[in-house]
Amino acid sequence: MTNREEIALMGHLMRRAGFGGTHDELVDKAGRGYEATVEDLLNPEQFEPVDEELLYRFMPGYEGALGPPLNQADWVYRMINTERPLEEKMALFWHQLFATGNSKVDNPPELTQQIAMFRRVGLGKFRDILIELAQNPAMIFWLDNNGNHRGAINENWGRELLELFSMGVGNYSEDDIKEASRAFTGWTIGPKIPRNPLGRFYWNFEYRAEDHDDGEKTFLGHRGNFNGQDIINLVVDQPATARFLSRHLYNFFVADEPQVPSWNITPPNDPDAIDQLVAAYNESDGDIRFMLRVLFNSDFFKQARFSRVKSPAELVISTARMAGNFSQPRPGFNSLAFECAYQGQELLNPPSVESWHTGSEWIDGGALVRRVNFAAGLLGDVSLPGVRSMVDTLRERGNLGPDGLVEACLELVGPLEVSEGTREELLEQARSDGGIRWDTAEDCAASEKRIGVMLALIAASRDFQFA
Amino acid sequence: MLTTVAAGRVFDYSYCIGMYGMSGQGFWSPQDFALAGDTMYVLSRGAEELGQRVSRVTLDHQFLGQFGAFGRGDGQFVWPRSIALDGDGNVYASDDFLNRVSVFDPEGTFLSCWGESGDDKGQLNGPCGIAFDGDGNVLIVDSMNNRVQRFTSDGKFLGKFGHQGDGEGEFNLPWGICLDDAGSVYVADWKNNRVQKFDADGNFLLSFEASPTSGVGDLHGPTGVAVDSEGDVYVTDWGNHRLQVYAPDGRFIATLVGDAQQPSPWTQTYIDANPDIIKARRRVDLEPEWRFRRPVSVRVDENDRIFVLEANRHRVQVYDKVKDYEEHPLNL
Repeated sequence: MTNREEIALMGHLMRRAGFGGTHDELVDKAGRGYEATVEDLLNPEQFEPVDEELLYRFMPGYEGALGPPLNQADWVYRMINTERPLEEKMALFWHQLFATGNSKVDNPPELTQQIAMFRRVGLGKFRDILIELAQNPAMIFWLDNNGNHRGAINENWGRELLELFSMGVGNYSEDDIKEASRAFTGWTIGPKIPRNPLGRFYWNFEYRAEDHDDGEKTFLGHRGNFNGQDIINLVVDQPATARFLSRHLYNFFVADEPQVPSWNITPPNDPDAIDQLVAAYNESDGDIRFMLRVLFNSDFFKQARFSRVKSPAELVISTARMAGNFSQPRPGFNSLAFECAYQGQELLNPPSVESWHTGSEWIDGGALVRRVNFAAGLLGDVSLPGVRSMVDTLRERGNLGPDGLVEACLELVGPLEVSEGTREELLEQARSDGGIRWDTAEDCAASEKRIGVMLALIAASRDFQFA
Repeated sequence: MLTTVAAGRVFDYSYCIGMYGMSGQGFWSPQDFALAGDTMYVLSRGAEELGQRVSRVTLDHQFLGQFGAFGRGDGQFVWPRSIALDGDGNVYASDDFLNRVSVFDPEGTFLSCWGESGDDKGQLNGPCGIAFDGDGNVLIVDSMNNRVQRFTSDGKFLGKFGHQGDGEGEFNLPWGICLDDAGSVYVADWKNNRVQKFDADGNFLLSFEASPTSGVGDLHGPTGVAVDSEGDVYVTDWGNHRLQVYAPDGRFIATLVGDAQQPSPWTQTYIDANPDIIKARRRVDLEPEWRFRRPVSVRVDENDRIFVLEANRHRVQVYDKVKDYEEHPLNL
């Protein structure tokens, strides 16, 4: 028999390593065991990928998307319907870390290709991920490496590789940026067939030896005729890289940290946790799967429930999954993509290469109203299949008083831990409306309505904003 | 190559029609089309809440107009999927979200719609391919119910055949449909990677698929099927981005991959108006542009011209089946 604590811990794991789960899913996984579920998450290839051809059969506009939000909706569909939640969550992690935007790239299919690359290599070695990133056409265009030439360097990619993607500010010099940029000359893209009127075409990575500066370089104290791959090999061996990546993983999966630009002057909230992740990085030669195994099985992770503000993507996707009405291709995924944007996270179009600020900065007056209205609108609708399932579960439990109704609803939406203040407000509502009874048709109708109201109130609570 | 010679047949690329357009001149993720003499009705699926329509164009590139739009009202579409003409030239279009068939007159005036969601006989779940039999009745591929249903032209149920599975006469998300002159029915059995041929009563006759010995002639997600006057069968091999051609007995004959080396006049006009696009096109290998991308529907006219609609290139490529072809000296 799986106890409530085990289900609550599983809910925590699935909110962080995926996009949440229904109560039935959590019960099943808890029965399988925590560590076994972690291994399932870390080895997604044992589960079927999203049936892409089925998706494109029904939504042909997603393939080679001519413009946003079609590419965003494509990703939203995958995040909701994947059977490989961590694979998709890692794609979101890397997208937030290696922020690349359509505002400049102006080529939605290339951004979709970049996300597919994150799916493919996102749990591998950090070295390999950076190599893929350096050769990714969208990234090359986004950070101008196609304008980085022998004898006339463009520092944009070289700078962000060190500042935002690996080591962080304060761990390299301006000369290191220049030398890194020299090493990446010749890493470029060629012209492609222009868009329209026959749809979109793809770039290809090209290495142009004649445009590569193969002269001697000095980088982070090392000398040699470095090419881009050599730079990445040196970068991933830096202690600063292990620490920077560990802090990003902690910030994304465990608990909100201060904003990234302050990291060179603000210590981590939990230095011991960062040390454990750094040790995992060093032990595994930067293997992300290994690091995440350490992270998900750690006490610091298990004790960090509801200590992160959900990003808009997490809030929209997890709520839509819970409501259960987006479990197959259908109209409406564009609206979900727009909803992420309205709440402050336009997928595949971050505000800059610095990405989104996270944590409490996801929340402002307008965003909070959107978050509340969206979540309460879905979870308060008892006609939606996922909500209907909750109603059916409650009905199986029989008549419940106000206290029982509140507890049961909190259990089915998480289980969600709430403050005493929130609990009192929920109880006040439940006591004024009454509990739930299933004795007569009138009782059933009234009870369903009360459940819908209670679920909407829970979705509107401060506590629901946290993962 | 522009001319493909195989098994005594000659397929000669002719020209292409169309381009991408959110509205007006152009198509957007077109799913099906129907031929009416020198006119063509092209059904665009668009994306979410935009672009759904039927376009009327002539085979010499004149845009005559469009009808239908996104919505759930009369004459509107959510997921337009397939289109066919009755003997009077009225236009029937299936919608695999709304589970209904909408009927328009040849000018595009809405006449009626019919269809009820469900899986009982006569009900629809994801209607796709649509075709008329010799009696003027309508066959509809009821895709999510894995069957073919026959209705009168005003929607009265007449019969059905097929169910879910991968055996003979069974389907897995079937898509397109056509009839030959003898009344035999061909169904693109999408998820089973084959086309099945049935007699007029729905009895299984033949399957067009990969050779069990050589593997040639394989299909991956076939969507559309058509038969020419000699019984040769053309299948849009959607997942492999090609057109597969089979002899009447199911023997594989040839593959066509798209040959639109010369843009359509609509496309050329767009290019000519954009100097940067002209420059960009001079710096790239244009071959990917010639090739089929998601060929989704195929039709053959009375002259055995073969029309192939591409969902992701938003155009139709046209081939002639040349009957009087004389081989040139191979030692030229």
